Amino acid sequence: MSKGFIVLAQNTDDVDYVKQAYALALSIHATQSETAISIITNNNVPEEYQEVFDQIIPIPWTEGTDSRYVAEHRWKIYHVTPYDETIVLDTDMLMLEDINDWWWYCQDHDLLFCTQVLNYKGEIIDNSIYRKTFIANNLPSPYFALHYFKKSEQAEYFYKVLEFVVNNWAWCYGKLASEFYQDWLSMDLAAAIALELCGYNDRADICSPLRFVHMKPGVQGWQPIPASWQNTIPYSFTKAGQLTIGNIKQPYLFHYVEKDFIGVDIISKLKRLVNG
Amino acid sequence: MTTGALIFAQNTVGVDYVKLALFAARRVKEHLKIPVSLATDSFDWLKFYPDHTEVFDQIIPIVGNTNQLKKFYDGTLAFKTAEWKNLTRYQAYDITPYDRTLVLDSDYIINSDTLVKALNNDYSFQIFRKSFDLALDRNDKTFQRINQYSIPFYWGTVFIFEKTASTRSLFDLIEYIKQNWDYFRFIYKIETPTFRNDFAFSIAIHIMNGNTEGDFAQELPGLMTYTLDRDILVDMKNNKMKFLVEKAHYPGEYTLVSTNETDVHVMNKQSLTRFIDGGSGV
Repeated sequence: MSKGFIVLAQNTDDVDYVKQAYALALSIHATQSETAISIITNNNVPEEYQEVFDQIIPIPWTEGTDSRYVAEHRWKIYHVTPYDETIVLDTDMLMLEDINDWWWYCQDHDLLFCTQVLNYKGEIIDNSIYRKTFIANNLPSPYFALHYFKKSEQAEYFYKVLEFVVNNWAWCYGKLASEFYQDWLSMDLAAAIALELCGYNDRADICSPLRFVHMKPGVQGWQPIPASWQNTIPYSFTKAGQLTIGNIKQPYLFHYVEKDFIGVDIISKLKRLVNG
Repeated sequence: MTTGALIFAQNTVGVDYVKLALFAARRVKEHLKIPVSLATDSFDWLKFYPDHTEVFDQIIPIVGNTNQLKKFYDGTLAFKTAEWKNLTRYQAYDITPYDRTLVLDSDYIINSDTLVKALNNDYSFQIFRKSFDLALDRNDKTFQRINQYSIPFYWGTVFIFEKTASTRSLFDLIEYIKQNWDYFRFIYKIETPTFRNDFAFSIAIHIMNGNTEGDFAQELPGLMTYTLDRDILVDMKNNKMKFLVEKAHYPGEYTLVSTNETDVHVMNKQSLTRFIDGGSGV
């Protein structure tokens, strides 16, 4: 059974998501026993980036995009992944420690979502503040930014339902997420609705080890809530690939959120770690 | 292996810590059945308490001066600013006469045998992390993390340690933090320039844990139950204590609460002193 990570990157005028995916791939090579990572993108992948990716896969069946997070293509991940077992990640993440035990846990599942995220202090985030829609509509609370699937009937079914939800999100939100209605396509909410429609609520498993540190400023327990975590708290990324924020070492998987976090300094340190 | 307690008492113009230590030591001996030693720089004061030789196992000299001042409240409406001698705690490792030592503040009043189990387990370092404010509804976030940006808060008020290489490192680290307090308070975003043992212990434990959540420090059983110096000790009989605790958002107004067989950190030293002197504490 082949295993690998996959990430979907679509550059915008403001953000170089391919570069973020490159940094993520470097961090995976620097920390993981399973190092295969493929990128799904229609953007140009610079030559120096190409060597860290197992495969560079074009986004199939492209149409126009108009949603807030350019999310429409994410249901296609299942259909293009080259791996039997896949962990899906967002581009704006860094792997900081080996998560080999996640593969071990996930192998008994066909589909598994991260449902709990931490702030940088290691506290489980109370998502009732910003996931009102999920709670009010009795939906599961998955984080699409980190999930696992195995090539299987169940996972394929889920992704087919997800395709329907993504392509008809406004209608689905109106039917199944009408309380605290969101007027944009969010993959987390689309995945929650797809899980609900499939009857797969238990795939949002609270015991799952799939977790990441989420750096959205609003969930760090700060008052007042600042616009940027980078302007609020000191952090350092060492040559050994250790990230500390407020003198607290960050574990496993780090979702930095702020697009300007990945600079030359971090990429060059990651490159040195990978290349020795 | 020897086990005992160590209480620090450094008198100031405002507070007779030796008197408090004598009171606290009797409670330790009664409930925990271990000898108690006194670490002090206030030898002249011992002559006022001739029974100290019966209470204390050993009197251990320490030298520690400070130019730190602190505002000591006595209930909500009265306070005085006085010297605060708190820079010697890191010496506990070197001066304790015991292999396994319970270190406690002189204002931590033992009313139960809760700590006996902790004295008899295998952990080399135990300390309180979780706490309980008897006032219930006051903001206790300052006792959860050293500030909203930073690391978990540990109470330097009570801890148990065994002499090992790792606890040696902890106390060395605390001394280092004390010596470089301005540096550490800057990087941990601590606003007050005043050195606090709670902060130094919290930082040292965090470092010993490799800058993450770790198990270097085990938590003492139960919670650190406390009243602030804005609260008032009303009465204490057998193992029951009564307090007037300040109402949240209503300065100067109090609620009567009582405890039974609960160890309590009584931060209002003036009130505790009045009670020891035979008054009601009010």
